[in-house]
Amino acid sequence: MGETGDTMRVVQLLVFGLGTGAFLLIATLGFALIRRVEGFLNIAHVELMSLAAFVTWYFNSSLGWHFLIAATIAVAITALVALVIARVIYDPIKHLGAPILLISSVGVAFLLHGITAAVVGVGIRSFEIPRLDAWRIGGVLVTPYRMVLLVLAAATSVGLALFLNKTRTGKSIRAMAINRELAGSRGINVVRTSRATWLVSGVLAGLGGVALGVLGTLTTDIAFQQILVILAVAIVAGLGSLYGVIAAAFIVAFAMDLSLLALPGGYRPVIAFAIVIVVLLIRPQGFAGSREEVTA
Amino acid sequence: MNWGQLAITVVTVVSILGVLTLVLNMQYGHAGMINFGVVAYFAVGAYAYVLVTQAPPSEASLDQYVIGLGLPPWAGLIGAALAGLVFAAITGWPTLRLRGEYLALTTFAFAEVFHSFIVNEQRFANGTRGLVGVPRPYRETLDFVDYDIVLAIGALVFLIVVYVIFERIVKSPYGRALEALRDDELALITSGKRSRRFRMEIFLFTAPFAGMAGAFYVWYTTLVIPDLFTAEVTFIVWIALVLGGEGSNRGALIGITLVTLFEELVRAIPFSTIRAAQVAAELEVAALGLLLIIFLRWQPFAAWTKAPKRVARS
Repeated sequence: MGETGDTMRVVQLLVFGLGTGAFLLIATLGFALIRRVEGFLNIAHVELMSLAAFVTWYFNSSLGWHFLIAATIAVAITALVALVIARVIYDPIKHLGAPILLISSVGVAFLLHGITAAVVGVGIRSFEIPRLDAWRIGGVLVTPYRMVLLVLAAATSVGLALFLNKTRTGKSIRAMAINRELAGSRGINVVRTSRATWLVSGVLAGLGGVALGVLGTLTTDIAFQQILVILAVAIVAGLGSLYGVIAAAFIVAFAMDLSLLALPGGYRPVIAFAIVIVVLLIRPQGFAGSREEVTA
Repeated sequence: MNWGQLAITVVTVVSILGVLTLVLNMQYGHAGMINFGVVAYFAVGAYAYVLVTQAPPSEASLDQYVIGLGLPPWAGLIGAALAGLVFAAITGWPTLRLRGEYLALTTFAFAEVFHSFIVNEQRFANGTRGLVGVPRPYRETLDFVDYDIVLAIGALVFLIVVYVIFERIVKSPYGRALEALRDDELALITSGKRSRRFRMEIFLFTAPFAGMAGAFYVWYTTLVIPDLFTAEVTFIVWIALVLGGEGSNRGALIGITLVTLFEELVRAIPFSTIRAAQVAAELEVAALGLLLIIFLRWQPFAAWTKAPKRVARS
């Protein structure tokens, strides 16, 4: 392969990485939102994604409904499940602190995973969506569904930004993220706002799950395998930062996909992890955030 | 159901995982460090033991591993402890200056990367195929007794030794300093102690025991495959610790005994179809998750096992 061949390969992987980044962006936004507003890392976020993916699969592939209808139902169900989990499990132990909430969320992840896997069973599943041929643009293969994800990710980011900046509930969420007590004393209904946050996070997890199924085939373990990469994106962005997630998602995605030039595919998560180590060594607070809460 | 066999299995597994729970209790319960990668220190011990003791790779076999020192089992056990120590040094150096959730994330990530390494690197230990039929130490010399019983007793003795050592540390002035590290780090620093050094010391001191527990695990399973060393091990140890009440070595042992009993009893149920067995295995995962949630919330054993926090009233 000559020099142009190498360049083409890099361009190809970058185009591929756009799709990966779009998925990571959607998947991490809801996770980062909860960290920002509720103050803890909700590991169960990935299992909510898994739930959304399999609910979509059930309505779409088993019952034969249109993919978009199935996906909408799945997103709605996931948002409701996220809210119920928050009210039944997380709210009562809030006073115990972030580490206990984090460990509890691992329990929630186990619970959701066990139920999903028991119901769905083993095997590889995929959505009933039309198989589209890749476009060839100047020698580079572009997968249509990856571009659809890119549009979805852009729409999600813009939608979330508008929601947080323009609506009353969104502004309440932002106020609560900065100072919960002050927001409460200034007349913001903290309980209602917290519920709204969980619904939004659930919708984002739902979209992430649907995106996961669009990107490839599904197994019950596939969502949990994403947690490491999602954590990497969240750390690179600075835990709790939302706008940082947009840049971080693509940095991590490009790094992982470009690593295919030199390493076997199984090492992609290792690349994500290497980025985490470098970020924690140089700038542990990520793009945003203060250093004090990070290091001892 | 063979109750005698079940009892031997439970004693062996409780002893091995009990050491891991005690290690985690020292790190989290006493020193306040959230280690979400416990399984990695266990796994490096198991793999180190096999690499040290197995025969060098032969041309004729299908094995792809490159290291095999062919040393006796006691050397393997030392190798397992050293591997735990080295891995703790490598992972502890960048992570221990981080707090709470950041430490949890990096230890978790290190464990996942190690898992990904043993899955993908064929030359290390045959990748996903792993190494099977690892010989049990002194099997021939001990052929007049049931080897399972010998192993159960050996593992139990190991657990008791670790328990006694850890209890001595906890009760010592050093142990009180550790509790200060967990409960009121500022007070510890103010009284002239270096908190970061304490963290590193306890991390390095406890990890070799997790490595040795890995070697015992190899004797029990006679194989090392990546599937044995998933994040599930970490979480089971966490569930056990939370169940018994973190901060108490006795509580840690009660916790791991209950979790292991639960798991082995579920495993011992005979199922008529493969599908039923799969559903049961998945529901067991769900039940463990539910237990973790419930015990974190109500902490039923905490009043009995947990020492009160020593924090000055403000």
